[in-house]
Amino acid sequence: MLELFFYDFMQRSLLAAALVGALCSTIGVFVVLRGLAFMGAGTAHAAFAGVALGYLIGWPPLLLALLFGLATVWVTGWVEEKGRMKLDVSIGILYTATMALAILFIGLMKTYNAEVYGYLFGNVLAVTNEELLTIAGLSIVVIGAIVLFSKELYFIAFDQEMAEASGVPARRIFFLLLTLVALTVVISLKTVGGILVFAMILIPASTAYQLTHSLSTLTWYSIIIGVSCSVGGVLISSYWDIPSGPAIVLLATLLFFIAVLLSPKRQRQSLALN
Amino acid sequence: MRSVNSHPPPFIHFDHATFGFPGVVALEDISLEIQSGEFVGVIGPNGSGKTTLCRAVLGLMAPLKGHLRIFDCDCDELRCHHRAKIGYLPQKGVVDRNFPVTVLETVTMGRYGALGLFKRPGRKDREIAMESLAHVGMDMHKDTALGLLSGGQQQRVLIARALAQQPDVLLLDEPTTGLDITTQHNVVELVQHLHEELGLTVLLITHDINMIRSRVDRLVLLKTRLYAAGPPAEVLKPDILSQVYGKDLVITDKDVVIVEDYHHHH
Repeated sequence: MLELFFYDFMQRSLLAAALVGALCSTIGVFVVLRGLAFMGAGTAHAAFAGVALGYLIGWPPLLLALLFGLATVWVTGWVEEKGRMKLDVSIGILYTATMALAILFIGLMKTYNAEVYGYLFGNVLAVTNEELLTIAGLSIVVIGAIVLFSKELYFIAFDQEMAEASGVPARRIFFLLLTLVALTVVISLKTVGGILVFAMILIPASTAYQLTHSLSTLTWYSIIIGVSCSVGGVLISSYWDIPSGPAIVLLATLLFFIAVLLSPKRQRQSLALN
Repeated sequence: MRSVNSHPPPFIHFDHATFGFPGVVALEDISLEIQSGEFVGVIGPNGSGKTTLCRAVLGLMAPLKGHLRIFDCDCDELRCHHRAKIGYLPQKGVVDRNFPVTVLETVTMGRYGALGLFKRPGRKDREIAMESLAHVGMDMHKDTALGLLSGGQQQRVLIARALAQQPDVLLLDEPTTGLDITTQHNVVELVQHLHEELGLTVLLITHDINMIRSRVDRLVLLKTRLYAAGPPAEVLKPDILSQVYGKDLVITDKDVVIVEDYHHHH
């Protein structure tokens, strides 16, 4: 299968997969620790509605995806902060509402548009040079922001009120995190798709969570798992000619269950309880 | 008992302050001064506004009426670096036991507020964190996962996190809840020791009067309003306490005040 590496498209898609894998698994650490998993799913669907609207009215789909994604995270973040209603309820409503909008927009299109469905399921093998550059540029922005604010992001994940009480501008950091989640979702739409991007955010960090008790180790494990699953998934998908998105996600899921079974954390916890 | 110098301005000054949300008053017309170096216990039944008082002192809640000044700074304009001067131990159960974080990582978080944005914790911050751990006797556990410690040890680590802020005031919200009796005593003893050793101003919120009555300089008795504030002997009088606790109050012939609060313990 080595000859696969010599194809242009293969190099491009491996690079795109590695970037998206690194990006999703890094932001995923904070999403999982701060308890925003469901919000990630809602954002992905909202972004897809943006794509559908883009194709319907002839605007750049990714721009509208970004607007829809940002609107969703900011509204749900604001609702959580105000404590007006439970977070799962507000996300559940936005989630289904944006999905309904997506179906509506697709229904309003006069012709069948295969490209729209590409954003739903993703196709990393079809990534163009331009898209690769966009992914790379935006990944640098998001990962740069995470590195710059990592200590504050860890602190608000641990306990946002404690962080705020200790003199960290916790609210602003929380909204920064939400914004980065929306950006990550949009960057990853074309490669893994609106449905599977959420798995790429959630699974590597959750797998790492099983394996360590240290925040810094957790982050590195998550990135290693995210990148290996993305690259491994692309290789599997081209070797056996199966869709890339499911290959990546199912590989990550397999690793997750292995980690749950072998978790030293679980074994030590049962020891501690005895 | 330490003498309290009344000349410098108080650290915390409530001036007829009312807190709550529109339509719901949690604390009403509170006037209270807390001086540098005092050990103050805040007591009162459930729902008496103890935690609201705590949030107010942290600058997380502005008064609806009246004024609150903290470190000679109006609480609405309390800046981040002022907040870092208050070391805070939240109520137990707030922190997720399974959160993947080591003891040293937890305590180092105490440095983040003072460091400000964009700066990484350096050698000096690790030294301060280790020093704080030594103060609570947990330095040998620095690489242990927080979730694997006992409840009392976790409280010690979280107190060390507050100490790592190098605070002027230590604010503890129900630090003994959910701990067994011996551990409760150990935690309160530790707080008293820190107060004496480091000269910290301590504000300890609790429903357990007996645990702190012999240790604090002053008691503050709350039930939405401030019922009494003064030395324990002046506050813990049957006529004052019965106004606040009503039927929950039991006084034995040895003058031990017991407040029945079964509903507090799950």
